Amino acid sequence: MPALYRASLGYLFRHPWQLGLALLGICIGVAVMVAVDLANASSERAFLLSMETLNGRTTHQIVAGPAGVEESVYADLRTRAGLTNIAPVVTGEVSSGSVALGVLGVDLFAEQGFRAYSTVGSASVQGDGLSAVRDLLTVQGAVLMTGATAATLGLQAGDSFELISAGRSFDARVAGIISNPSNEEQLRDLLITDIANAQTWFDTHGYLTRIDVRIDAPDGAARLQAELPAGVELLTAESRTQTSRELTTAFMTNLSAMSLLAMLVGVFLIYNSVGFAVVQRRGLIGVLRALGVTREQTFKLIMIEGAVLGVAGAALGVGAGIWLGEKLLVLVSQSINDLYYRVSVTDVAVSGFSIGKGALAGLGATLVAAAVPAWEAAGFQPSLALRRSALESRTGRVAPILMLVGGAVMAVSVLLLLVSGTSLVAGLTALFLLIFGFSLCIPVVVRAISVPLARVAARITGTPGRMAVDGIRASLSRTGVAIVALAVAVSATIGVSVMVDSFRLAVSEWLGNTLRSDLYVGVESGSLDAGLVRDIAAVNGIAEYSTSRRAWIESEGVRTRVIALSMASESYAGTELVDAEPGAVWPSFDAGDGVVVSEPYAYRNQVTNGDVVRLRTNEGLREWPILGVYRSYDANQGAVLIGRAAYDRFWSDDKVDSLGIYLTDGADAEQVMADIRAAAEGQQAIRMSSNRALRDLSLRIFDRTFVITDVLYWLAVGVAIIGILGAMLALQLEKARELAVLRALGMTPGQLGGMVTLQTSVIGFLSGLAAIPLGIVMAWVLIEVINRRAFGWSMALHVEPRILVSGVLLATVSALAAGAYPAWRAAVSSPAAAMREE
Amino acid sequence: MTKQQMPAVRLRGVSRSFIEGSVEHSVLSNVDAEFRAGEIVAIRGRSGSGKSTLLNLVSGIDTPDAGSVEVNGENLTGMSEKRRTLFRRENIGFVYQAFNLVPTLTVADNIRLVLELNDVPSAEADAAIDDLLTRVGLADRAGSYPDVLSGGEQQRVAIARALAHGPSIILADEPTGNLDDRTAATVLELLTSLVRARGSTMLMATHSESIAASCDRRIEVRDGGLHDQDSAAGTTTST
Repeated sequence: MPALYRASLGYLFRHPWQLGLALLGICIGVAVMVAVDLANASSERAFLLSMETLNGRTTHQIVAGPAGVEESVYADLRTRAGLTNIAPVVTGEVSSGSVALGVLGVDLFAEQGFRAYSTVGSASVQGDGLSAVRDLLTVQGAVLMTGATAATLGLQAGDSFELISAGRSFDARVAGIISNPSNEEQLRDLLITDIANAQTWFDTHGYLTRIDVRIDAPDGAARLQAELPAGVELLTAESRTQTSRELTTAFMTNLSAMSLLAMLVGVFLIYNSVGFAVVQRRGLIGVLRALGVTREQTFKLIMIEGAVLGVAGAALGVGAGIWLGEKLLVLVSQSINDLYYRVSVTDVAVSGFSIGKGALAGLGATLVAAAVPAWEAAGFQPSLALRRSALESRTGRVAPILMLVGGAVMAVSVLLLLVSGTSLVAGLTALFLLIFGFSLCIPVVVRAISVPLARVAARITGTPGRMAVDGIRASLSRTGVAIVALAVAVSATIGVSVMVDSFRLAVSEWLGNTLRSDLYVGVESGSLDAGLVRDIAAVNGIAEYSTSRRAWIESEGVRTRVIALSMASESYAGTELVDAEPGAVWPSFDAGDGVVVSEPYAYRNQVTNGDVVRLRTNEGLREWPILGVYRSYDANQGAVLIGRAAYDRFWSDDKVDSLGIYLTDGADAEQVMADIRAAAEGQQAIRMSSNRALRDLSLRIFDRTFVITDVLYWLAVGVAIIGILGAMLALQLEKARELAVLRALGMTPGQLGGMVTLQTSVIGFLSGLAAIPLGIVMAWVLIEVINRRAFGWSMALHVEPRILVSGVLLATVSALAAGAYPAWRAAVSSPAAAMREE
Repeated sequence: MTKQQMPAVRLRGVSRSFIEGSVEHSVLSNVDAEFRAGEIVAIRGRSGSGKSTLLNLVSGIDTPDAGSVEVNGENLTGMSEKRRTLFRRENIGFVYQAFNLVPTLTVADNIRLVLELNDVPSAEADAAIDDLLTRVGLADRAGSYPDVLSGGEQQRVAIARALAHGPSIILADEPTGNLDDRTAATVLELLTSLVRARGSTMLMATHSESIAASCDRRIEVRDGGLHDQDSAAGTTTST
């Protein structure tokens, strides 16, 4: 290696703590990014593989309304149209003990050529394959499951067990254990059974969830669609999978943005580290320039250092990211299960793409961060390079220019917000531009504030206090970036906390408004039978009740969440209309003259009062006028409310998911609950919740979905603390001689440590102050732009002063923690040694 | 005029001032001067008189506000920064008061650095390093880092580094300022003998009367001008 590069890299290895902190900063930035990407990708991959396994070679699927496809359609296609490449499927969810299980009901005779696991009789079923097939066809409740599922349930082939579906108990038996390593993970927690069993468990006799189709001919789909009756639709399997997958897009994009925030803070840290390395070597760089090293060579030299740091940090970050990804996967999959769809994923799928992306981002961020100090180093005049004051005076000159640039960047951000319509990515880009632009303004503000602060410090603690605070301004080239890094990280905690707080308040108020009934009745994984609803309604003490039924309706390739409501008189007020008069809407709604759509639905589909919603009914496609938009915090793509009478008329589904019960005045709630349980006895095992319990449960789920957000922003704060620690250690190294002179002049170790501590606490305090306006603006953008564009939610900005105070405290305490070691080092260092080294 | 007859360094109407706050300080004002090839010239003057500025201008590290600086017949004033750097790399050697060795490189590598910058082949560089370290009496310290050397030893390494690539001009800024008298005398003797042996021109900024006396010529920087102290009437070389 040429001597020039040895000279440069030798410096890094001579300052191991500085090297270590820089590596740690890059490492955490990359780790968070890789971890979030791996967790997202693993969840998504698990979902896609599961769909792939369950769909097999299915190219299309025939679907109908919420009740499913009538069996006669299947029989007709087989017999009259002579189709053989079709397979009936019934799916649903059951539970056994505390384990939730998916059910795939199939017709084994029709399965050949569809799903790989159906090759029973071969090695894919352990033991006697033929006997398993025979059992599956002849034994009531016989199921196949994977070894992992059997282990979870503590079962073996031949064992019997109890299944609960829609509050009813059924006997099931393990006919065979599927052993197929290639897709064992995708079949986890899934029971495969004969279609008749599934129909019994889900009480859907005469109906299929769907008919899987394999179409090879180019015009096959069009010909098949022509054969189908009204209300039945042929869709490609791919588009159905894609539609489900898209549900989580916004959720995952937001997580990726949070991980980028850690990387952004990491960029400041890298800039700081490389910047310090340059500043500390200004003398050396000056000598090299005098010896004939050109500006290009100087630039290249620093960039190579950055690249070495970037590669090493990224490599470490990838390793840490895989580890962290496994931890985050639990949180991500939990949130997806809470909010979107069932996904079973236990291991992180380490993808080269995710790792490459994280590593490249880490290296790229390092090079970008190193480019500025490299450019500065290249710009040193050799004669001036030997003077430190030149650098600070240049920083002083550049700071106002940076502020102007920052203002311009923020203006671009605002412009982008105004012109980018509903684009989430543009919204996030604008948010990052805003953060970046604001951070460029911080050094000037710090310089301005530190002047009066120094006076105050001088009055309180004398000259050492003034020196401590003045030192921040005098060393702005180094302290400025540390303050920016901490301010950005803390502003993220303020921004996210204010957003979550506002969101929680809005959801809490919304739940309070929406959940008006005294009692809620439903069943675990399934719906209430119409007969049971009637029996419950007859219980004494019940004044009124509402019913709701949630169903997916697929129309022209679009899945729409439809909620059929029959509302008690008090329930109308629980559905807050945002753009229409209730008095004008609800009579028409009950009469079936139109639908009411949720805010997320309206935003996502860009529809409003007066537009129409097209839904496929038993009678074919039908347009429903939108009567109004209601406030909702649905995590999905939004929902369409329809009156129960209209639902019953156009779809063959008499089930009810939940009952909202209003008690008569003076009714004994406990007695009513006992009577309801008695009414359900022998029919379905019901679950009853009080208004309060349901509300608490909803808020618990809400809080659970934000755990991952908390984890991510604490990681960003961690990166910033490392930044402050690095900055303070570097400052101390730089000022070793000055500190030694102070010791020689009679300052005690305690006074010296106190001075460094005061300096770090002021750095933290200033960072906290700077974080407040940025945090509030960030919260506003998160609420008005990001949440709106990602989920269609609207809520009011609610700034709790305690969050702002906590932010300033967090910044100050973080800085104090980071400054403790440098302060101690400053206090115990030998003045004689420091003077000698200089 | 042939190249041999040309002065090694020629300043014509050179002015240089610096702005501190709102005040402009003129350091050199309309200076004309010539330094012959092979000459060893002492540059004297009070602190802040402009000695280092003069050396920076001759090396191309700094550029004049007015006038021209020619070194070996090449006008540095008209050159781009990069061209000046490359010119300096090839033609100038520096010896500083504070040694300014690269702390992360060994003694040998400090010398190798300038040889590599001048594209000297590795084998040739090794031989040159051995030769130079032997000449400065540090052959046994090739693998040592600067921080374990004494001040005199560090300055000897700096001298070896300054001469390694055979520059025609050596600029020495208080080369013995950080050394005790005895060591200073040894280092100065080494420096002048090596410079004379190679036929280089050396401009040496110094406060020391005795060191100045040992040089071929003494110039004093005073009141923005250069004053030749060896001319009969002490005439100034600046106009």
